[in-house]
Amino acid sequence: MSTETESTGIKRRDFLKVVGGGAAVAASIGCSSDRVEKLIPYLVSPDNTVPGVSTYYATTCRGCAASCGVIAETRDGRTTKLEGNPAHPLNRGALCATGQAELQALYNPDRYRSPMIRKNGKLVAAKWDEALQLFSQKLGQTRSRGANNAVFINQHESGSFPAFLDQWLSDYGMPPHISYDSGVDTAAIAAHTAAYGVAWPRFDFGATTLIISFGGDFLDGWGPSVPQQLDWADARAKLVGAPRLVYVGARRSLTGLNADSWLDCKPGTEVSIARALSGDMPVAQAAQASGVDAARLQSVVDEYRAAKPGLVIAGGHVANSTDLFTVVAALNHSNGAVGTSIRPDQAILGYEGIAPAAELRALVDRMNAGSVSLIMVRGANPAYNMPRSTGFAQAMAKVPFKVSFASIMNDTSEMCDLILPDHHSLEQWGDAEPVRGTLSLQQPAMDPVFDSLATSDVLIKVAKGDPANAAKYALPDYRTWLIARIPGGDEGMATALPKGIVAGSSLARTARPASSAFAAAPDIASTSGDLFLFVYHHPVLGDGRGANKPWLQELPDPVTKLTWQTVVEMHPLTAAKMGLDNSDLVTVTTSAGKLTAPVYLYLGIRQDTVAVATGRGHVNAGRYAKAGENAYDLLPLAGNSAGGIAMVSTKASVTKAGGSMLLATTEGSARQHLRDIARAIPIGELGLAGEPKHAEPQEEHLPGDASHEFLPGLRSPVANDAQGDFGDPASKDKGMYDPNHWSHMAQRRWAMTIDLARCTGCAACVTACYAENNIPTVGAEWQGPQIMPDRTGFGANITRSREMAWIRLERYYEGGEDGSADFETRFIPMMCQHCGNAPCEPVCPVYATYHAPDGLNVQVYNRCVGTRYCSNNCPYKVRYFNWFGYGEPHRSQYAFPEPLNWQLNPDVTVRGKGVMEKCSMCVQRIRGAEHRAKLENRPLRPDEFTTACAEACPSRAITFGDAADESWSVTRLIKDERAYHVFEELNTFTAVVYLKKVNHPAPATAPAHA
Amino acid sequence: MAITTRPATDVELLRRPNIPSANVRLPAVKDYEQVDDEIIGTLHPTAQWFIGLGVAILFLLIGASAWTYQIYSGLGVAGYNPPVMWGVYIITFVFWVGIGHAGTLISAILYLFRAGFRTTIYRCAEAMTVFAVMTAGLFPILHLGRPWKFFWLIPYPNWRYIWPQMKSPLVWDVFAILTYLTVSATFLYIGLVPDIAVLRDRETNPIRKRLFAQLALGWRNTDREWRHFVRAYLFLAAFSTPLVLSVHSVVSFDFAMSDVPGWHTTVFPPYFVAGAIYSGIGMVFTIIIPLRKWFNLKHYVTINDLDAAAKLALFTSLVVGVAYMMEWFVAWYSGSPAEKQFFANRLWGQWWWASALLYTCNMVLPLSLFSQYCRRNTTWLWILSIFINIGMWFERFVIVVPSLSHEYEPWQWAGYRPTWVDYAILCGSFGWFAMWFLLFIKQFPSIAITEIKEIVKPRLKHRHAMGVDSTGLPLPFMPDTPGEFD
Repeated sequence: MSTETESTGIKRRDFLKVVGGGAAVAASIGCSSDRVEKLIPYLVSPDNTVPGVSTYYATTCRGCAASCGVIAETRDGRTTKLEGNPAHPLNRGALCATGQAELQALYNPDRYRSPMIRKNGKLVAAKWDEALQLFSQKLGQTRSRGANNAVFINQHESGSFPAFLDQWLSDYGMPPHISYDSGVDTAAIAAHTAAYGVAWPRFDFGATTLIISFGGDFLDGWGPSVPQQLDWADARAKLVGAPRLVYVGARRSLTGLNADSWLDCKPGTEVSIARALSGDMPVAQAAQASGVDAARLQSVVDEYRAAKPGLVIAGGHVANSTDLFTVVAALNHSNGAVGTSIRPDQAILGYEGIAPAAELRALVDRMNAGSVSLIMVRGANPAYNMPRSTGFAQAMAKVPFKVSFASIMNDTSEMCDLILPDHHSLEQWGDAEPVRGTLSLQQPAMDPVFDSLATSDVLIKVAKGDPANAAKYALPDYRTWLIARIPGGDEGMATALPKGIVAGSSLARTARPASSAFAAAPDIASTSGDLFLFVYHHPVLGDGRGANKPWLQELPDPVTKLTWQTVVEMHPLTAAKMGLDNSDLVTVTTSAGKLTAPVYLYLGIRQDTVAVATGRGHVNAGRYAKAGENAYDLLPLAGNSAGGIAMVSTKASVTKAGGSMLLATTEGSARQHLRDIARAIPIGELGLAGEPKHAEPQEEHLPGDASHEFLPGLRSPVANDAQGDFGDPASKDKGMYDPNHWSHMAQRRWAMTIDLARCTGCAACVTACYAENNIPTVGAEWQGPQIMPDRTGFGANITRSREMAWIRLERYYEGGEDGSADFETRFIPMMCQHCGNAPCEPVCPVYATYHAPDGLNVQVYNRCVGTRYCSNNCPYKVRYFNWFGYGEPHRSQYAFPEPLNWQLNPDVTVRGKGVMEKCSMCVQRIRGAEHRAKLENRPLRPDEFTTACAEACPSRAITFGDAADESWSVTRLIKDERAYHVFEELNTFTAVVYLKKVNHPAPATAPAHA
Repeated sequence: MAITTRPATDVELLRRPNIPSANVRLPAVKDYEQVDDEIIGTLHPTAQWFIGLGVAILFLLIGASAWTYQIYSGLGVAGYNPPVMWGVYIITFVFWVGIGHAGTLISAILYLFRAGFRTTIYRCAEAMTVFAVMTAGLFPILHLGRPWKFFWLIPYPNWRYIWPQMKSPLVWDVFAILTYLTVSATFLYIGLVPDIAVLRDRETNPIRKRLFAQLALGWRNTDREWRHFVRAYLFLAAFSTPLVLSVHSVVSFDFAMSDVPGWHTTVFPPYFVAGAIYSGIGMVFTIIIPLRKWFNLKHYVTINDLDAAAKLALFTSLVVGVAYMMEWFVAWYSGSPAEKQFFANRLWGQWWWASALLYTCNMVLPLSLFSQYCRRNTTWLWILSIFINIGMWFERFVIVVPSLSHEYEPWQWAGYRPTWVDYAILCGSFGWFAMWFLLFIKQFPSIAITEIKEIVKPRLKHRHAMGVDSTGLPLPFMPDTPGEFD
């Protein structure tokens, strides 16, 4: 053998080298480019950790000031899902989109991975020892030069930490911290405090019959979204006797779209309408001042006079809101709302103690004067959301030493000299006091993702190293301090933690001296410009906190349905006058600055007003936050007497900028075109239909023989037929499609009802679905196809309608074709209808979609070859295609850059390139519950589990269950007289049953009650 | 008015527009030798041919690169815009399948009908069919999200006992296309056998000669071979005939079986078949008019033949015209808002220009063929054929894109705009088709030598010079040979 090799001139070693080299090349370019990861089993398992089994931690959401309770589902040490805590008094099990997206703050790829110190003008990573030493050194220097020159700005939060922080600051001789939250309406808080004694009362909408809201956008993140939405939906679900909502404002927000009537007053003239209500101003005069049709105003005034108790709420976005609040408070005191529908006794305490923007404005002067030597910022991002006209960022740059405790990079932290990254709230201990007498506990749900340290512990560590304070901070960490405050200490904490709440109250923070207010803003009508400028807080991104979370960027704004983009909202008639159309670029110029963005034609805005949302257009807040433009740049230096920034205080000149930019919208046509998709019924016609004819009990259906009479496609007429092999009705071999099969799968029919009378269109379900089902976001700049010049940039895939949202909220207008303000909006969540007679199934050539015996329309990703015929044939258009490899890390379209991929639900596949996907009705939850029941040797309990969308829904509009079993609530709801199927005429026999929206027409026009 | 009873003279017959009949005259073709010389003479590669082939291959490579890029990146690089989940690829698929149909119609159905004008053009048309189907067959694979799994559509025995969904029209497509490709390729080859034998006899290059000898299946021009050949040809013609109707009907089921407004209609199968034949004849014109010029074959493919084919185009254009109007009527008659609004949108919506283009090309311009002058003007015929090709491509565009973009759910209405990848692959398909066609016409006679000889008068002095049998006697003239001498 050796002679042979020698004879060919190739030595064995050379041969092996070549082969080895070739194999190495093949291995490096073939198979997998991922690095090898070793699976190491636990030798000693941590407590409560069983691989593959979730652990649930009750903790507190810090997404906004309200502090809802959440339950963090943690699998193998990683938190994968947040659900509302049903025991929590505030959110009662529901959770909004912002709350859901806290996970993307936890796993944000732009989090600081370690402390950072600015060296030679650049932030470089450092060790904690070095960073803390530098911090202590600077603290010492500051103290020696007069600690009064130090400022601590904390993102407002409720609970004991603010008091702890104030204590620490005072131990260092520093003034109490500024508790800043630019996302809340400080004017409303001041007014509530003055009128009702609390910062934010609970509004019990069910206790009234008429709500008049002057820009009080209680469904848009004005105040605690989730509890307000729960109350609102519960009130509206009464149907008969439900409150009517009249919205007054220049722009219909989500709250405005949910309103039954809209008085489109000029910005700044809300107060005249309020005076008309109180009778202080004649209706005609008020109508003339506000630009509202006098007859409509008169009917609202009449209605208000007749309504007892009425409820009037007002938001403080306009500069002259103080006058408005005074009148509104008087109205509420006179109409009996206080104590019935305004409940100061059930106040939301998270809104107490927020410093108004005027404090930061005053700080600007001090910083400019050089009298601030050290500024510390935690969480808040004033460099972004203090309007540029206040000069905050420039002033802050002058401070000699700036410390940030930011967890994720933001515009403010990037200016700082030292970054001591805080834990995310899901990684640290804390508490909040959401309602009086109840503490909502915050505990770490997992180990820290990065090398961060809770600010509270940083403070303790630093104090320990300080000879002057070491004695006071003998405790090991903040957790110990916190437990000491809980009744019962360690044991009390241990019993309280599983529930997440405990009786108690947080420490009072040190009150700060009242600061100077803003100079009075000029009358908006007297400012220069062509159109009123209406700047508002984005309902999802808020004041910009959500901007670096791709879920929230991609979540269509509930009102405009735009993603990844800042637009100028304009009335169609105004745009027509200016020769503009959707997506034409315009420049909005105010005295403070200008902004260029595409036009979006919006019916719900006055013709003399343009609107721009805040939240986007960050300079330095991570990779996703760059999308859009910064609306704060437009705000002139104007506030209200409560010290808040007036969001609506000026006119603006709007000019054509030339060119256009495609709208990254998910909206196709906002009209139903006679399709009867989102149906509504006037309240007067409820009950007139008599007994619903579908309510008769049905004889047992064998799959395949259901009559067309039964309403909701509970049994598919073709369920067994769906499996072609068993299609013969005479066949005895129906397999699992036989109801008597031992699995009894065919005895179930998973179904869902969606109550459109409850649904507000808030889209929390959408984000919940993204979180549960590993849905990729596709709108980032680098995910775009980059193949056409006009399709690049943020939202490029969205402009091609390639969003992947398995559930979407459609928003249809009724009326208002002529541009009038008198139009109705219907929201309808649309997801896979799990048709009994599904058009998608027979057209799939490879059985990638087929019918499960329990009624689910199943998509088998591994089998899909991507013909997309199923999507063509789906009347509901709820199938989504993986145009790119969104789940493949080496691609630019990768949707889960490390560590966002840590959030992925291990129960759900990350779909590959080229396959179709759609709503599975959370099949992983169904099977999980079935398996659990099996293990516990019991049948499934009615309403034992639900889908992610239903679980999150803050209006409790979605109900999921087994429609073949009378004991599930969904079965009862399906028999409601309002029940209908979308496109019933197509014989699809859908499993999703909608309950018609109920319209509450103004009394004058309402048909007589039968 | 006196009734003329005398038979038409030769001159009159030549002038008279050719009525589909076996009575085709090629007065400029004197004898068999001329046929052999002139047709085989076209097989010598020329510089222009090489340039043409190079361009075709370049186009093919552009398309192939685009496809490679698309496979690597994902279908997102194409211009899909949900809910428009089908786009240029499916349009082009239907376009090429349709092109194929004229070839089979001409070679099979017209053969059975003894339509004489087919004789000179059928070889081209049939080659066109095979290559068009080969082109079309790529597109269903090309448009898949995971093209490497395309074989899952084929019912092959497998361990998982998973069979394709036999209800899916896409599976029917697989059968239809594969059947069509097999039958039309066989048909083309069988017809070629006697011609290949001629090539073999004339070939001097030993390798090519060997190759031709293999392909000619040992053809020796015997009585028995001819008898079998004609029977086999007749059988295959009869076998192909239903395919002309069935294949495009099946393709139309891709649309008609769905519930999409604008697709879900029973008129689709006949409408698609007529459209296919129409488009195929257009493509035949596109190919044959330059070909007869470049190959100097104008005296074979006569104006009379083109005139007759033009009448067929006119007829099929009228059929599709009626189908278009039927669609509007049914949409109105259905009472379904989705259908009505869709057709309104088709006419006046964002793609009004595509519909206008289609109606102009397929309904209006072909009306010119009522004029004999137009039918006999090859320049106009060629220009019209380009319009027909464009019109038929846009017919499929109008079927696929506007329907999908305006379905039941208004919230999901959207637009569609192809990207460079779509265009590159579209070009690549023309390159692929042209490459095969160009290769074919330089390897095999693009006009059937055998069948031409049937309509050429033999030189009677050579009547018995066909050879001698083993005893040395001249072989007798065989009267049952096709194309009996007059």
